[in-house]
Amino acid sequence: MAHITIEYIIMIPVLILQIFLFPLWASWLMNIWVDSRRTLALQEAASHIGSSIQQVYFALNPATVAAQTLTQKLNVPSFIENYKYTGNATLKSILDPELVSNKVLEITLKLEDVGTIAKATVILGSNVAWRESTFVSSARASCIIAEKLANGTICLSFGG
Amino acid sequence: MTGSTIDHLISLTVFIGALLVFISLFNQTLQTAILYQRQRYLATKCNDLLDNIMLNPGIPSDWGESGNVPIGFGLQDPKFTHYALSPFSLMRLLSFAGNRAYYNGTWYSNVSWGVNGGYLFLRESECVSYDLASKLLGTNGTYGFRLTIMPTVNVTIVEDQSAADHLRLNITVIGQNSPLAGASIKYLLYRISASIPNFVNFTTGMASTDALGFASLEFHNMNVSQNKMAYVFIARVSAGGLYGVGYLARNAVTNAGTIVPYVENSNGTILLVHNPVDSNAALHFNASFYVLSSNFQIANGGVLNITSGPWLVNYGDGKPSFVLQIQPPNNGGFLVVSYWKEDGKNECGMVVVPWGIGIIGLSIVFGGDSAGQGWVATDIRQVAVRGIAYQARLALWSLESYEMMG
Repeated sequence: MAHITIEYIIMIPVLILQIFLFPLWASWLMNIWVDSRRTLALQEAASHIGSSIQQVYFALNPATVAAQTLTQKLNVPSFIENYKYTGNATLKSILDPELVSNKVLEITLKLEDVGTIAKATVILGSNVAWRESTFVSSARASCIIAEKLANGTICLSFGG
Repeated sequence: MTGSTIDHLISLTVFIGALLVFISLFNQTLQTAILYQRQRYLATKCNDLLDNIMLNPGIPSDWGESGNVPIGFGLQDPKFTHYALSPFSLMRLLSFAGNRAYYNGTWYSNVSWGVNGGYLFLRESECVSYDLASKLLGTNGTYGFRLTIMPTVNVTIVEDQSAADHLRLNITVIGQNSPLAGASIKYLLYRISASIPNFVNFTTGMASTDALGFASLEFHNMNVSQNKMAYVFIARVSAGGLYGVGYLARNAVTNAGTIVPYVENSNGTILLVHNPVDSNAALHFNASFYVLSSNFQIANGGVLNITSGPWLVNYGDGKPSFVLQIQPPNNGGFLVVSYWKEDGKNECGMVVVPWGIGIIGLSIVFGGDSAGQGWVATDIRQVAVRGIAYQARLALWSLESYEMMG
């Protein structure tokens, strides 16, 4: 009788503990996985947007290209796991003496309702300007607008 | 009662064991999925980066020709669009292809160290380093890369040693792992004879490859035995709209040594250095720079011709080198240096120095070393370097370590 009692005293709490612990552990692990997945997807989108901005900039930069406006549609997903994401960018100077003539554009994307953030940076020339604008992934025509001015300055912004 | 306890203990142990195995497998599956996503991201990054490099000329757009340090990295030819690369920007990439060359306190980037008689050493301070390119591309510290630009059409030219009394050159043309049958060959041949070394004879001609991509050219009036004659042979091959170039120069070692050319800067200063066998022997030379037009015609615009020499270098007599100045042409060209020793043996040799990658079909390897990196994404573009078909391959890896656990 004593043995049966001890067995039940040990087994039942262990089993009950498992009932709670296992789902908790599974949920925790899945959260890590989902977060990583979303972060990577967002990072990929940020990197691709950065690359597109760089290409648009360099397409307009040669002195032989006249003042004009160029629009580049962005080939990034509208939603990441059913969440839309928004983005903005800031233009900064660089302290590195080798890159002192350049400017760096830092693009920040945020997954709405979730809060996941991803950043990408692109190096551009000194004749670049950033027009304050917001990128919205769910917008029908999200794009990059690059306007080359007569003085050679290239004004970049998000459109859509 | 004891049997029941043992049953319970065993079942509990098995239960916990099964749980741990399940946890481990589940964990591994999830981490594999994350790793896969990272690799996909790396592949996308590689694709974007390659396009960024290939589709912009950099800042300033003429940095390859002007000798300026770029503040934006790109290899596109500013005179063309799409995947057309500048032969001069490529020339200024610090080569990872072989050992660096060292002369007189200066290091030189080694694109070709006398391979088939072709030299391309460029002073390292004139080159764009991997470190600078990484900074300009915004990958410094996060990604490593290696860029390889190699001809799509491989043209191999060898001397046929079985032809004892004359020169026979065997040309093999290989495309992407298969021979190019029926390819047309147009060639340029510069040659000197040790008996009249001051005179460079020029010949041009046409041929075509057979079904195996092979052609054999006979030059009955040439006999290169005992280094009595030397030549520079450059062939342009075309097949189905693809162009390739190959070359062979007879870089013979005379008993007074050879001449090694070093490009000093983008303004066209070239140092011809005596590489002696006998330090007291003088080596005479002539040098001519030829400008190549886009249709493989020689358009010699009087950029350099010092055949009015002969000139000489003599390491043992305080004349180890000779400074040449050419006017770098827009289209690219090549320098032909013929050298000989004026003694009873009358040996001679020739070397060629291209001005621009693509002129004689050299390859470029630029960037870091991917050895030991966990995952390397690669992407390829078919590009043109002044009409010559090349393949650009970018290998990209992450410098942020991530590993599977569990």
